[in-house]
Amino acid sequence: MTPVLELRGIDKSFGPVQVLHDVAFTAYAGEVTALVGDNGAGKSTLVKCVGGIYPIDSGDYLFEGKPVHVNSPRDAAELGIEIVYQDLALCDNLDIVQNMFLGRERRNGLVLDEDSMEELAQKTLASLSVKTVKSIRQLVSSLSGGQRQTVAIAKAVLWNSKVVILDEPTAALGVAQTAQVLELVRRLADNGLAVVLISHNMNDVFAVADRIAALYLGRMAAQVKAADVTHSQVVELITSGRSGELGLKNGSGVTQ
Amino acid sequence: MRAGPSQEEIRRHNLGALLRHVHLGGPTSRAELTSRMGLNRSTIMALTADLTAAGLVREELPRQTRRAGRPSLVVRPESAKVYVFAFDVGVDRMVAARVGLGGVILDRRQVERRREPFSVEEEIGRLAGFARQMLRKTREDTVCVGIGAAFAGGVARADGVVRFGPNLDAYDLPFGEELGRRLGLGLPVAVGNDANLGALAEQSRGLGVGCRDLIYLHGDVGIGGGVIVGGQLLGGHQGYGGEVGHMVINPGGRPCGCGSKGCWEAEVGERALLELAGRFGKKTGREAVRAVVDAADMGDAQAQEALRRVGDWLGLGVANLVNLFNPEIVVFGGMLRDLYLGAAAQVRSRIATDALPASREHLRLRTSALGDDATLMGAAELAFSHVLADPLEALARVSS
Repeated sequence: MTPVLELRGIDKSFGPVQVLHDVAFTAYAGEVTALVGDNGAGKSTLVKCVGGIYPIDSGDYLFEGKPVHVNSPRDAAELGIEIVYQDLALCDNLDIVQNMFLGRERRNGLVLDEDSMEELAQKTLASLSVKTVKSIRQLVSSLSGGQRQTVAIAKAVLWNSKVVILDEPTAALGVAQTAQVLELVRRLADNGLAVVLISHNMNDVFAVADRIAALYLGRMAAQVKAADVTHSQVVELITSGRSGELGLKNGSGVTQ
Repeated sequence: MRAGPSQEEIRRHNLGALLRHVHLGGPTSRAELTSRMGLNRSTIMALTADLTAAGLVREELPRQTRRAGRPSLVVRPESAKVYVFAFDVGVDRMVAARVGLGGVILDRRQVERRREPFSVEEEIGRLAGFARQMLRKTREDTVCVGIGAAFAGGVARADGVVRFGPNLDAYDLPFGEELGRRLGLGLPVAVGNDANLGALAEQSRGLGVGCRDLIYLHGDVGIGGGVIVGGQLLGGHQGYGGEVGHMVINPGGRPCGCGSKGCWEAEVGERALLELAGRFGKKTGREAVRAVVDAADMGDAQAQEALRRVGDWLGLGVANLVNLFNPEIVVFGGMLRDLYLGAAAQVRSRIATDALPASREHLRLRTSALGDDATLMGAAELAFSHVLADPLEALARVSS
């Protein structure tokens, strides 16, 4: 199976500080790939490289098996890569439909095509089995944290995206809402998308992930199938870069 | 020796198959039915005409198509007119619902249960009362075609008697017969084990569509199981198969309601979790389980340890099931949804170390797509089953 997204040998430095060292990363359609790592391990930088916010210094970026150049967020969006950041980037004073189409409104001649936007928004939410939202004309300010996350995810899915990257989608949510968001994340993948989930919560990772990619000090310690590893192995990969046979060969991985 | 099936039998089979397509798949165009069922267009037309005449489906022009040519008519189930009564008896709640063809919940009533022995008079009376309330609100052109019930206990296949329901203190209870008598609709009440029916519901319209090997685990106070192997529900000799909650995984362990010790449901059930978390005797039910997960998330060490222990046992049991049945999907429903999501790291670590690598290679672990209605929808499917087997005959029987 060809991965939808494949990165090989990615290096990225900010001035004298090298943040990513020879990082490889893959994401497959129909799977949730969890990207884990300690604070400062390079998760956000890697995601921003994928999303075209940071240019990569060197390495290969392949999309559906073909080498591509992603130099801006627009390039990434055109390929079908959507990123849902922690702050969600929703406008409180707009309703759900307006938020989902923000900046990409459909027009019918000179006026906005409200009907078709509403229908498409409704269809997208229905395809994700979202039942918690009462009306799609509700203002986003009236929604709960979990519902906001849902809208932000639905917005990402709306554009026939192929890869959806979620940055800590369950942080700051209560248990009931976390459960709903996790189920939504799983459903995205079961509907055929490649989903990348960044999370610090090992339960969330194990609840939905098919693969786990562990970053350690800017290096990819291991990318493994979630079914083949235990919780403690993943924690070891995160904290020391290796676990038994798995992980970086030269111990800490910081030797230059 | 018999010759092949008669024309009439083939027609009956095809009518049922078409109705099943529309019932489970929703509105479908004639063209699509033609290709999916592998029949020719005129046969589909004749079958649809029969079902339309019987009032089971109706045909409509599609709202819009982007294709050239005359649009194919869309066949829709008559959800508002043809319905069943579905009942679900769990330890903490009882639900009664009117479910339309196509699996649409048209009306529902729900009541919390106190944890007391199941009372035939009071509680079956209550369910029948709910049904009568809902019946009064129906229009005249509607027809009830069946009644189904899910019960948290072992149900005999032969007569629908609840043989054992330790968590409801119900033994040898002729539940279906009593409920049928009180409803007085002249229809039999089909009864099934709640987790068995949950498994069927997930397979017919939940996560398991097209999946032939699925295990549905239903967490109530204990754990019920529905095991589907090769597309068929594993019922066993008398219908008590799939009682996975009573496999003994910890010899001499916690006492179980069934009289044994160390049953899976004793080690993983609500009581074990609450006791380990130091919260037993206060709140009970789903809320109490969620509160433990919540507390663990906030950093409560005792709650974390309780989830770790219970998650470990949960994973161990699933690992055993995976080795025994090699399922494609294991679905966590009821209280197990919260437990799995709250202790997934533990559960999957156990499976990774204890299940055979080949058996777990393609295993998918999921929470129920039908949520808290899985068992109720299973009861509805049970009630619809004879209509789907022979639509015209079933309808004739009901309306006579």
